[in-house]
Amino acid sequence: MKKKNIAITVENLSLVYRSFSKFSIKKHLFSLKKMLRKKYVALKNVSFEVYEGTIVGIIGKNGCGKTTLLKVLGNVFSPDSGIVDLHGHSVSLMAIGVGFNNNISGYENIFLSGMLLGFSEEEINEKIDEIIEFSELEEFIYDPVKNYSSGMVSKLAFSITAILETDIILIDEVLSVGDINFKQKSFNRMQELIHNSDKTVLIVSHDMKVLEETCDSVIWLHDGEVKMNGKPKTVISKYKEFMKVKN
Amino acid sequence: MKKFLTDLKKYYKYAFRLSKAELTEEVSESYLNWLWWVIHPLMMMLIYVFVFTVVFKSKETYYTVFIFLGLAGWDFFNRMLNESVNIIRNNRNIILRIYIPKYILLLSKSFTFLFKFFISMLITIVLMFIFKIEFSFTCFYMILLLPILYMITFGLGCILIHLGVYIDDLKKIVEIVLRLLFYLSGVFYSISERLHGLFSYILLNCNPIAFFMDEFRKCMLYNQHPNFMILSIWFVIGIIIFSIGIHTIYKYENGYAKVI
Repeated sequence: MKKKNIAITVENLSLVYRSFSKFSIKKHLFSLKKMLRKKYVALKNVSFEVYEGTIVGIIGKNGCGKTTLLKVLGNVFSPDSGIVDLHGHSVSLMAIGVGFNNNISGYENIFLSGMLLGFSEEEINEKIDEIIEFSELEEFIYDPVKNYSSGMVSKLAFSITAILETDIILIDEVLSVGDINFKQKSFNRMQELIHNSDKTVLIVSHDMKVLEETCDSVIWLHDGEVKMNGKPKTVISKYKEFMKVKN
Repeated sequence: MKKFLTDLKKYYKYAFRLSKAELTEEVSESYLNWLWWVIHPLMMMLIYVFVFTVVFKSKETYYTVFIFLGLAGWDFFNRMLNESVNIIRNNRNIILRIYIPKYILLLSKSFTFLFKFFISMLITIVLMFIFKIEFSFTCFYMILLLPILYMITFGLGCILIHLGVYIDDLKKIVEIVLRLLFYLSGVFYSISERLHGLFSYILLNCNPIAFFMDEFRKCMLYNQHPNFMILSIWFVIGIIIFSIGIHTIYKYENGYAKVI
């Protein structure tokens, strides 16, 4: 087997939410007791490595830190301790509709959103036709986004992130966009992206069937800790068993 | 510092494009369209001219242009600071989903406000023709003055961005302070003519916006050189504020998403 480079290294990653952080001066002055700091540990000593070109699924019950983990990898949150090393790869959270401005046209929004994701104007110019075609919006693309139906907005948003690709793609359950046709199309596109051997993909999903079919390995998070990390089949069957026992 | 430059290079186009889109959006559905960019500042000026020449009998030379120039500078300063306090919360949608150096949002706003400032400058020049005010080479000092004012304002804005994330009350406080500053800065009167002694000196030189407004007027209207000593002090202070602002944002920005 070809020796593969490491795309993501995560070591002893921990992240704590504190709910005290935002305060009003009045509350601060008038509360005599020292404010109780509610802590919520979202991630505890998470460590793993992901190789280039692999597809990794992340599973776990709601609130176990899956989305938080993606946000840390996508550089939205900074971890409280631990190391995240992306080895110089570009990364994007499949963040649907990031930076959309409702009052300007879809066309302009493609540029804004794409540039936020870190692409240059020229790169977007090259792909803009492809994006518009994929989004099926046709002449609506020049209308302000506020005139779109919600389905159209998500179609446009998905098209942007699906066509503009980064080295590492983080996907947070976005496979349910648009009508049946578009869903099938976006699913196919995801498959295409996923099977492109240069791309490293991390998927958060509750769809065990999809994960079992597509992933090279699966990480099971439980209460902010890695409970299991390994072959999809074994991890998923253990996970299913675990959930059944709890219910 | 190096990080600042690479980030700036990477994102300034985005900031520019966003600002352009917002400017077009602002007027695209009104009947008078871009004419509003001209009409709005002109009307504001007329209101002040009416109040202060007819009601309060002000006697500053070239009062119309005097007010207009003052308002242009003040508006830029005021808008920047007011905007920065809440800028993170207003852009939740971006902040929670993707990494972007947070001052880029302010940079984009600053382009918008600079654009409005330049329109005001163009109108000033037209007004100077109408009132037959002599142009002299001292007008070119504006090129020196403006970047320094920009740097100070941007730096202050960055510090407000940071504090605004954690302190909810800051918006109100900034509003009050800016209102006070508006009256103290001599937007509609000349500090040096109306006030005397130490008080006048402090008001004029320790308040950046008052100082720069005064210098704008001196260079544009009265053919005078700027006060280079005070200007260089503000230049140094500007660099310090700017570095503190950028540094603070870099240090804490990834925590913002957890708070809002």
